[in-house]
Amino acid sequence: MDLIRIFLAEDDVDDQELFYDFLRHRTDLKLMPPVENGVCLFHVLESIAANNELPHFIILDQNMPKRGGLATLQLLKKHERYSCIPVMIYSTYADDVLKKSGREMGAAMVVQKPITKEEYNKMIDLFLKLDYQRI
Amino acid sequence: MGEMKVQNVAALEAELEELQLQLNEANETIDAIRTGQVDAIIVNDGDGHQLYTLKTADHTYRVFIEKMNEGAVTLNTNGTILYSNSQFASIVQCPPSKVIGVSFEDFVALENKTLYGNLFKKCWTVDAKEELLLISGHSVVPVQLSLTALDLEEGMCLSIIITDLSAQKKSQKLLEENNLQLARVNKELEESNHDLQQFASVASHDLQEPLRKIQIFSTLIQDNEGGMSAQNQQYLSKVIHSSRRMKTLIIDILNYSRLSAHSEVFESVDLNELLTELLEDFELMVEEKNAKVQVAPLPTIRANRGQIRQVFQNLISNALKFTKENVTPVITVKACLVATKSFESIVADAGPFCLLTIEDNGIGFDKEKFLENIFALFERLNSKDKFEGTGIGLAIAKKIIDKHHGLITADSEEGKGSIFKIILPLA
Repeated sequence: MDLIRIFLAEDDVDDQELFYDFLRHRTDLKLMPPVENGVCLFHVLESIAANNELPHFIILDQNMPKRGGLATLQLLKKHERYSCIPVMIYSTYADDVLKKSGREMGAAMVVQKPITKEEYNKMIDLFLKLDYQRI
Repeated sequence: MGEMKVQNVAALEAELEELQLQLNEANETIDAIRTGQVDAIIVNDGDGHQLYTLKTADHTYRVFIEKMNEGAVTLNTNGTILYSNSQFASIVQCPPSKVIGVSFEDFVALENKTLYGNLFKKCWTVDAKEELLLISGHSVVPVQLSLTALDLEEGMCLSIIITDLSAQKKSQKLLEENNLQLARVNKELEESNHDLQQFASVASHDLQEPLRKIQIFSTLIQDNEGGMSAQNQQYLSKVIHSSRRMKTLIIDILNYSRLSAHSEVFESVDLNELLTELLEDFELMVEEKNAKVQVAPLPTIRANRGQIRQVFQNLISNALKFTKENVTPVITVKACLVATKSFESIVADAGPFCLLTIEDNGIGFDKEKFLENIFALFERLNSKDKFEGTGIGLAIAKKIIDKHHGLITADSEEGKGSIFKIILPLA
């Protein structure tokens, strides 16, 4: 089976590193190079010509400069080519307001950023599982 | 001769009839004077109108008109002042003798002359009121004129009552200024309120990011086994513990500031359901503490579900937190319906209020000393090494109950448990 391609948009360098450090050991995942905001995310997606090289999952940080999580989510869901890619929004502080708007805009998951390696892995597992249920 | 006689008789009879007519007229006038229908007579004697007032009948009115706060004048059809009370003279700051015989228009301020001209034309057919400026010494004074034409047999005349509006205008202006001031202060308050909420919200968000890093990296150091002394390990666990505490604190502040920001959505809330659901969340803690929680039947109220849940959550979590050692914690939640919004109210089956009590057998507190304080923000009665907490829980509970137009208080004695009482309207 193909590796599951995960694409992260995250402006915080520490959080980018943590994400890769905590998930690097996983043999089922292919972690695509991260981008620092929603605008860059679209540039990268547009540069991928072949549909079968697009990410399987997208993870968006909510608070990013230029284009944040929710705004990026909205554009992705409107876009014919990307609308079926499951999106997760994660944020340092995910309150009910963010969760509600995220879900309404079509996010598969809206969560608070994890702290430990175990929590990161749990978060990813849940995301993958959630989506398989969907399909 | 005989013919002359006849003529004389006829003339005399005609004269008699004429005199009879005059007599009747005079009698009618006397009657009218007696009954108070007439108290002044204006006679047109060729030189112009002459006003005759009847002293006896007129006396009370004259005193009344002289003493009243309004100016009063009578004008003839040319607009000349025939009569003025002293108040009018004082309004226009003129000696009374210089007022009579003068055209009323002379006292009207230049900018209102046209207005007065139109008014003077109109008022002979219909009563009129108008606000305008009169010249008063070297300045002007705002007045209201009430004009009434009097159709006397002797001719038409015009009565004008002049009300000085200076005081009214002044207080009106003051009121307007005060209102403006109030609106300004109100706006400033709203803005500062908004700023505060923004501040709380932004600060909480932004404070959480570095805090999360502290948590992550100190946990990572802790997980990197080896090379660290026992004491450093201990310091590190203190860092982790403190950062966890700070996170709770930030989230609590955020929740507290949110309470004022969000509009209220009230719905029907079955408190039995709410408590059952809430106790599921507390299951672990109840088990750990080996506590007993008893919930008597509770009413359904109209409230913001999430907020009322928060109140019970804070109170029950306090009850589970502040327990006595070696005593099985027992928490009892009860309710009864009461007639008025008061803790002394009599029980009433129909409400319209309910009294909710949350009772525990924990460490309690000195009610005399601390009842005032416990609902204040950041108030803690116990040191944090003994009991975890931010001191925001009860402040949040109070704010929520306030927003629901209810009351909250507590009764306690040190070492003898506490009972928290809440009064809420049912609908």
